[in-house]
Amino acid sequence: METQYRGAVLGGLVCQIFFGIILVAIYRALYAGKPQTIPLGHVTTYVWLQQAFFRMLLSNDPELLDKIRTGAIAYDLCRPLHLYGYYYARILAQKVTGSALRALPMLVFAALLPEGWGLCAPVSVPALLAAIVALILGFFCVSAIENITMGFTMRTLDPRGMQAMLSMLITIFAGNILPLTLFPDSWQRVITLLPYAQLLDAPIRLYTGEYSLGMLPQVLAIQGGWTVILILAGCAFWNRNQRKLIIQGG
Amino acid sequence: MSYIFVDHLCKSFVVRKKREKGALLREKETVHALKDVSFEIEKGELVGYIGPNGAGKSTTVKILSGILVPESGTVTVGGRVPWENRKEHVSHIGVVFGQRTQLWWDVPLLDSYSLLKDIYRVPEADYQKRLKELTEALQLGDLLRTPLRLLSLGQRMRAELCGSLLHSPELLFLDEPTIGLDAVSKLALRDFLHWENKEKGTTILLTTHDMEDIAALCSRVMVIGHGSKLYDGGLQEMLSKYDTKRTVQVEEHQNIDHVIAAMYKDLGL
Repeated sequence: METQYRGAVLGGLVCQIFFGIILVAIYRALYAGKPQTIPLGHVTTYVWLQQAFFRMLLSNDPELLDKIRTGAIAYDLCRPLHLYGYYYARILAQKVTGSALRALPMLVFAALLPEGWGLCAPVSVPALLAAIVALILGFFCVSAIENITMGFTMRTLDPRGMQAMLSMLITIFAGNILPLTLFPDSWQRVITLLPYAQLLDAPIRLYTGEYSLGMLPQVLAIQGGWTVILILAGCAFWNRNQRKLIIQGG
Repeated sequence: MSYIFVDHLCKSFVVRKKREKGALLREKETVHALKDVSFEIEKGELVGYIGPNGAGKSTTVKILSGILVPESGTVTVGGRVPWENRKEHVSHIGVVFGQRTQLWWDVPLLDSYSLLKDIYRVPEADYQKRLKELTEALQLGDLLRTPLRLLSLGQRMRAELCGSLLHSPELLFLDEPTIGLDAVSKLALRDFLHWENKEKGTTILLTTHDMEDIAALCSRVMVIGHGSKLYDGGLQEMLSKYDTKRTVQVEEHQNIDHVIAAMYKDLGL
């Protein structure tokens, strides 16, 4: 079993490094043909930070989904727990530990790459600290998003459809496939306000200096606002589900 | 009022069926899982709750544990209405569903137990005392550091029971606890349940298809079928009523399963 855990971490690392290099190569080719207004270093940094924290975006808790599907969630309902809070904490813990294991070695690797390929240093120390604060808020936000998907699973008993849709939305609008900084300006005005941009895009922009420190209160307000809204919405959704819930069979 | 008070309890489910060819709408069928069930159970009783598959046993247990909300009827457990204040209610009860697991698959039992301790907010001293008592009674001492997935079915069931009783509930629901167990494990489990009921005064409602369980443990049996309560009383009376061989003056009792089958048939189930 321990081998399996180590294998999963190692496999994830190799996979994310591979994707990172491919994406960086693509953007280098793009810049060679048609330089963009955003410096190339920002884009490669964006790619590496996205890859390093990929785990944060990935919804991956088969146990929880199995429980909902097989009805073992009946046990959870027999506990003196706030169900939403319990699952929220679980999702958050998994995202934090999953990312922490992979992010550090990835970032070290990316920082060692030659210039124009790798991770650039943050624009300043305060910017780095601001980015870390924003990243923490991003974790709270993404867990709230995922817990809403869980709520849908309670209803439909099958996570796949909802999850496929969610992961598509997340990988696109969180900037995992194409950095949000490369979207047309008119698009950016809207998508940077969506909850997905609060997960990694906002912290990365603070890191690279795309968002100045003066904008920090505004950035945190949008992140915090979405987090509160999504948690409240998720709570209400779960409570409604819970009243309707019927543990089938058994 | 009795500890568990159930009066005119009704619950039905809507089952959607696949559309028939050419039909415009899906057919809906209402299944009446419980039709006007009433009973009372006193504190410290150990009651067997039997009936054929789909009779409404699990539905009753789920309503009593606050997971399901009934359509009509009155239910109180220790003065509480289960579904109205779920969190408060469930901290006083323990549940074992024989075919599901409540412990965490990949972690050692001890870790699962200490998580349950936190969930139920059991004080450390009480927890240590109770854990010691339960691990001795259930012979779990050697297994505490073993992950759940490495345990045999019998070991797992003992581990589940321990998990359900750590917070010293007043009331324990057991849904087919001996399903799939070998003879030795079954006997050990029965001894334990007897001990827990007698020594600790825990009220136990036992749902099972294993008539030996009932015969070994319960002095009172409730029979449910098609959502209605059909019998409530002593086990011996029930057996003598339906023991067909005895009526024809044959010395030896027939297998208890045959008696139950004869009873279900007689009751039109």
